[in-house]
Amino acid sequence: MRSEPRPFLLPVAAIRASEKVFGKPGFAGRALTDADDRLVVADQPLAGLQRRCGGDLPGLIAIPALLEAVRKSRRYGMKLARTLSAQDSEDRYTAFIEIVPRDGEPGCQISIHNWRVTPLPEANQQLAEERRTAIERHAAEIWAMLDAEQRLQAVQGSAPDLTQTLSAMQEGLGRPWTDFVVPQGMSHMQPVHWRLLDGAAVTIEGSERAWRAHLLPRLGQAGEPNGFELLLVSDEAPPEPQRNRRNGDAGKATSGTRLVGREVAPALRQPISRIIANAESIRTRLAGPLADDYADYASEITAAGQHLLGLLDDLSDLEVVESPDFSTAPDRIDLMEVARQAAGILSVRGKEKGIRLVLPNGTDGLEATAEFRRVLQILLNLLGNAIAYSPSGSEVWVRIEPHEGKPRVTVADQGPGLSEEDAGRIFDKFERLGRSGDGGSGLGLYISRRLARAMGGDLSVEAAPGQGARFMLDLPAA
Amino acid sequence: MIEAAASVASNETVEAVARQELARGDARAETVVPILRHLLANDDNSVFGDDILARVRGMAEDLARQLVEETGSDDADGDETVAAIAALFYENEGFLAHLHALAMEWQLTERMLARVTLDPVLSPLMQSLVASSEEATQTVAMKALAAQARFVQGQRRMTLPLCELPGDHLHFALLCLANCVGEGGAQAVARAEGAIRARFDEAGSRLGLLAQLITGMGSGAIAALSLTHAGCALFLTALAIGSNQDRDAAVLSTNDGQLARLLLGLRSAGMKPDAICEQLVLLHPEITLPTGLERLDAERAAAILAAGGSYPGV
Repeated sequence: MRSEPRPFLLPVAAIRASEKVFGKPGFAGRALTDADDRLVVADQPLAGLQRRCGGDLPGLIAIPALLEAVRKSRRYGMKLARTLSAQDSEDRYTAFIEIVPRDGEPGCQISIHNWRVTPLPEANQQLAEERRTAIERHAAEIWAMLDAEQRLQAVQGSAPDLTQTLSAMQEGLGRPWTDFVVPQGMSHMQPVHWRLLDGAAVTIEGSERAWRAHLLPRLGQAGEPNGFELLLVSDEAPPEPQRNRRNGDAGKATSGTRLVGREVAPALRQPISRIIANAESIRTRLAGPLADDYADYASEITAAGQHLLGLLDDLSDLEVVESPDFSTAPDRIDLMEVARQAAGILSVRGKEKGIRLVLPNGTDGLEATAEFRRVLQILLNLLGNAIAYSPSGSEVWVRIEPHEGKPRVTVADQGPGLSEEDAGRIFDKFERLGRSGDGGSGLGLYISRRLARAMGGDLSVEAAPGQGARFMLDLPAA
Repeated sequence: MIEAAASVASNETVEAVARQELARGDARAETVVPILRHLLANDDNSVFGDDILARVRGMAEDLARQLVEETGSDDADGDETVAAIAALFYENEGFLAHLHALAMEWQLTERMLARVTLDPVLSPLMQSLVASSEEATQTVAMKALAAQARFVQGQRRMTLPLCELPGDHLHFALLCLANCVGEGGAQAVARAEGAIRARFDEAGSRLGLLAQLITGMGSGAIAALSLTHAGCALFLTALAIGSNQDRDAAVLSTNDGQLARLLLGLRSAGMKPDAICEQLVLLHPEITLPTGLERLDAERAAAILAAGGSYPGV
């Protein structure tokens, strides 16, 4: 279980004060599993829960009840449905899940409905708080005793990246703990009131991980703290001693490309999700009647939040593709199948805009050597763009055919098309072609081309203003 | 100080009493299926309520007949096969418990109709769901309404459509069919089995639709824990989902001897003590209400409930 950021970082309690419902009735996303019940692709809510349960994507389904249901659906060859319910230290998650065995293939399609995140009832909060403290005591990698002035009395710890700091602390008993570990964003010097430091993000010299400090007061007779327990906790596992050196070097080489960082992205994702969920419950007037103007504001908040989430995803992807040791896992894949899945995932969005996705006829696909989920990611990006920038009522075509002896996937739309100049810079990082406010980050195509090239292929575009855009994905033959 | 000590003591008392009551209830629950099986094998008995028994048997035979009919077999030895399949049904505790729970749900539905004129199909909550401004909710509610109407009709005739069974039970039923038809009919059975599996859609069954409605209400589902507002069907689904119990177990808890389970279930679903008392009086007008309920918090209730024994349907 992952420990949560404290209210210090995030006014969760304030949001929670008025009992809110997160999510709304209806369709919330889709996912696909394979013959071994591994999640191959999953939309956000389920992907998030999978990770919270300690699973990977792609990877074996980590939510036990879901795994059982998917297994049964595959074995029975029947459409099944389940109410899924899980809870962590703060929230209870419920969803209604439908599982359909895929036609002619070993695996299932999962659709998620009625995704709900509700805060645990108030009475549980104190218990949850006690539990969190217990978990943090277990998870702490540095544990120290402090006196009433927050001076070190004793310290213990282990982890390869902490040795330096630990020995400094041991030699510096009697000095304030903040001499050794630096709270981020603390402008004033010690003594700072302990409540301000509890939950603060801290940096530890010699460690690249993100850390949090927790102060647990020891109460004296008069109810005033006469000392503290200091716990330093990180959400990331300590580096393995041997790989440490190699990773350290790689870390240095990539440090220039760290944008949001894999540490910060998850921490931002949660508050933004909450903002979206709250705005969504205002928009749908779940808490009572509301003037139309305000509901419209709420839907703007939702849109802005979703933009931020998309941007975070893109930035994390960017960091991955730009790291020097990035590689893909090529395999023989059926391009028709990838196209079908991509179109399936985006069909709802297409329908909302009145755009028809046209796939090639027939079932004989063309095979390529590439990584399935990366090609899927590229096609989702291309089709997503085509849907976003085409007029409603138009069509988006996907063609799969050999080109100079190699397999090629073409995505063509009936949008305004691209000028020669735009086509030249459309794959540049953060290139938006003068657009703004539509939820794009200008990273999608850049990432897609990096992915295509990492697989030994390429992604290119044909300029023909007024005739729609044509994107070509070339891949190595199988 | 004295007050604090007293409250700790009575806190423990409430929990102890609840635990004791639950254990007693569990002991009773464990005997349900063996007795039920005994009664089904021996005709002449009335301890278990003839209507319940008749309904369980009626549903089992109706299900078996649907399976045989699906194979398209002529009537020559059809009845024998039906009886053989039904006999296999009675051997499976979970399957039997499910049919028993449906019969009890129907009995409760009829009782509520007689006592407080609660409509078996169109409860006040169902009415407002059908009139919902959310299109998704409205669509599901309309389907649930139709499914509930079919259920009511089916129960009056003591029948149950195959595809209304939960997936696991339908799977078992299909295995029974394959077991009871001789070599000669293997092909027809395979065809029938394939057709039923392909047709089955658990989300579209009555229980699936009810679960969709309740999960769609989010924390508003607490409103469905009022029997007179939600009607029996939605109430039972909300109770099951809210207290993390199997729906069959939730149905059983509305029975006379299962008061502790019902109380703990409602509490762990987050219902306030006053409201719980209201529901208890509605279901069991003759009981004396327990006191000190407000000191039992939802999480403790869920823990006690989870520590108790389980119903064979689970």
